[in-house]
Amino acid sequence: MNDLVVNCRGVTRIYSDDAVPVQALRGVDFEVRTGEFVSLSGPSGSGKSTLLNIIGGLDRPTAGSVEVDGVDLSTLSESQLSDLRLRKMGFVFQAYNLIPVLSALENVEFIMQLQGVPAAQRHERAQRMLSELGIGDLLHRRPGELSGGQQQRVAIARAIVTNPVLLLADEPSANLDSATTEDLLQTLRHLNESHGVTIITATHDPMVMQIARRQVKLRDGAIVEDSAAVEASAAGV
Amino acid sequence: MPFRLLLQLSRRNLLRHRRRTFMLLLAISVAVSGVTFMNSLIRGFQHDMREAVVVNMTGDIKVLAPGYRDDPSIENSFVLADGWVPDLPAGLVDGWAARIKVPAVILSERETRGIQLVGVDPASERISFIGSVSYAGEPLASPEDARLLVGKALAEQLQTAVGRRLVIMTQGSDGLNREAGFRIAGIYDADGTGLEKAFVFTGVSALQGLLDAKVVTEVSIRLLEEGSSAAEGFSARGRLMDYFTGLDVLRWQELEPQAAAMFAFADSAVFIWFLIMMGALIFGLVNTLITSVMERVREFGMLRALGMRPGSVVVQVVLESTLVMALGVLIGLGVGSLLVEWLADGIDLSAWAEGVELAGMRSLLVPRLLPGDLLLVALMSLVFGVLASLYPAWRAVKVKPLEALRR
Repeated sequence: MNDLVVNCRGVTRIYSDDAVPVQALRGVDFEVRTGEFVSLSGPSGSGKSTLLNIIGGLDRPTAGSVEVDGVDLSTLSESQLSDLRLRKMGFVFQAYNLIPVLSALENVEFIMQLQGVPAAQRHERAQRMLSELGIGDLLHRRPGELSGGQQQRVAIARAIVTNPVLLLADEPSANLDSATTEDLLQTLRHLNESHGVTIITATHDPMVMQIARRQVKLRDGAIVEDSAAVEASAAGV
Repeated sequence: MPFRLLLQLSRRNLLRHRRRTFMLLLAISVAVSGVTFMNSLIRGFQHDMREAVVVNMTGDIKVLAPGYRDDPSIENSFVLADGWVPDLPAGLVDGWAARIKVPAVILSERETRGIQLVGVDPASERISFIGSVSYAGEPLASPEDARLLVGKALAEQLQTAVGRRLVIMTQGSDGLNREAGFRIAGIYDADGTGLEKAFVFTGVSALQGLLDAKVVTEVSIRLLEEGSSAAEGFSARGRLMDYFTGLDVLRWQELEPQAAAMFAFADSAVFIWFLIMMGALIFGLVNTLITSVMERVREFGMLRALGMRPGSVVVQVVLESTLVMALGVLIGLGVGSLLVEWLADGIDLSAWAEGVELAGMRSLLVPRLLPGDLLLVALMSLVFGVLASLYPAWRAVKVKPLEALRR
């Protein structure tokens, strides 16, 4: 349980698109170990989503280095980053981002299709995963025919069906009501505790922060509080 | 990246926007059917033009004495061995005819006209227009038949009729004038007054007797249409050149350079018409594809965030365009072919007969559908479809996944 899945060193991100450059991250050092459930929280503009996107290879830091499962992301091309995301990461987005022309089952099978998993195997795994998340009876519905909570479950199933090294969730509860959020959080906790999935989530939602075993707070592009550090300090490490 | 997955996504995306896809299909189908139909008219015109040249006494290949083209008189003639037949591969030659063709003056009681006097073997002339025209009176019976076949328009100018006598004046082989009276066996009605005014026919042996020379001025060879490709035309010409050493052996394109230029222009016209139609279509296609891509930027960003490579996104956009193009081309070719089939009996242009004749066409334009043209339209359309989709595809991958997801 001590393997480093994520290792960020001095990560800085400056957005220069506008007239006045915006420093979204300021030399962040951040580590995540296998099996951790981490919530990144903080006010809007604190840099939590930026950090999540950089870890996911969707954005590149202006300075500093990021390693995911031992791979330095700065050395990878766009296509190599795509491959890394395909093989090692699962994404859950705020807006679900399912493929509208595919059914729930096909959406879950999609990543496995990209990976070249044989049809029978991916079909069986997708079906099992959707059943495990409680929507086994909605296999053939398209996203437009599912509720927000159901769509988010499909998105989670799609993200974890390939057993990724890391599950990244950006505001996963933003579009959900409290009851559905509670269900979702139980699902994430179950995945983390029973399947050992490493989860990093960026959130505003106190419910999500509470369920994560490690809370990291950011402000103005810097980590201002990390529960792991507090625990380590308390333990005299 | 599994091709089947991309195909599935492309197919479903097309079905997802049924109205847009339908409009796109309609535009492609109309353009392709229009191109197909116009091509068939151009090919029909081209066929008519070639037929007009080949049938109107020229043939596919003609053997002439050197100098005859500059001075078409009996002095520029040659002797053809008795029993000569063209030594060409079986299945290539439709027929051949040896003729004497000399300038002459024809006189009736009322009028005088300059004409081309042609001595023919009537049995051989099925390869020229005179073998298939309609007559008032009767055709020539044999090479020895010393009567005349006169065109309807010329007969009207000469104010004469079947059975009446006309006087022909021409130059004999000795350079002296020959003059003889001939009765009119028949008055022919050709497809065009130009022919009727230009050519007067009599038996070749009878004309040889008048000119006092057992010679011919030309051998005209008609090739079977299916065997008359440019390569085979050249090959046949080469074999004839070997036999007729010292004579001019010329293809119709050399004998009628103006018609040959028009024929070649018709080939170009097929391409030009295709490019105009496709050019207009491509603007619409690119525009629609860009709209479609821009609407789905977020979706493409999500696919890339999930691990789809930029190249696969390009393939997906190109596939969508190719699918709709292929279907539109199929429908367009089908509609175009049905239109041609519907007009298979020809389009009557007799109201513009004189202008049509000047253009080397007949008064009935029959559209001709060539498999090569269909294949060309199909392949070029697909190539255009792929090219048209490259820019929208590039736009789809130009946006970074994160930027796309934020939209």
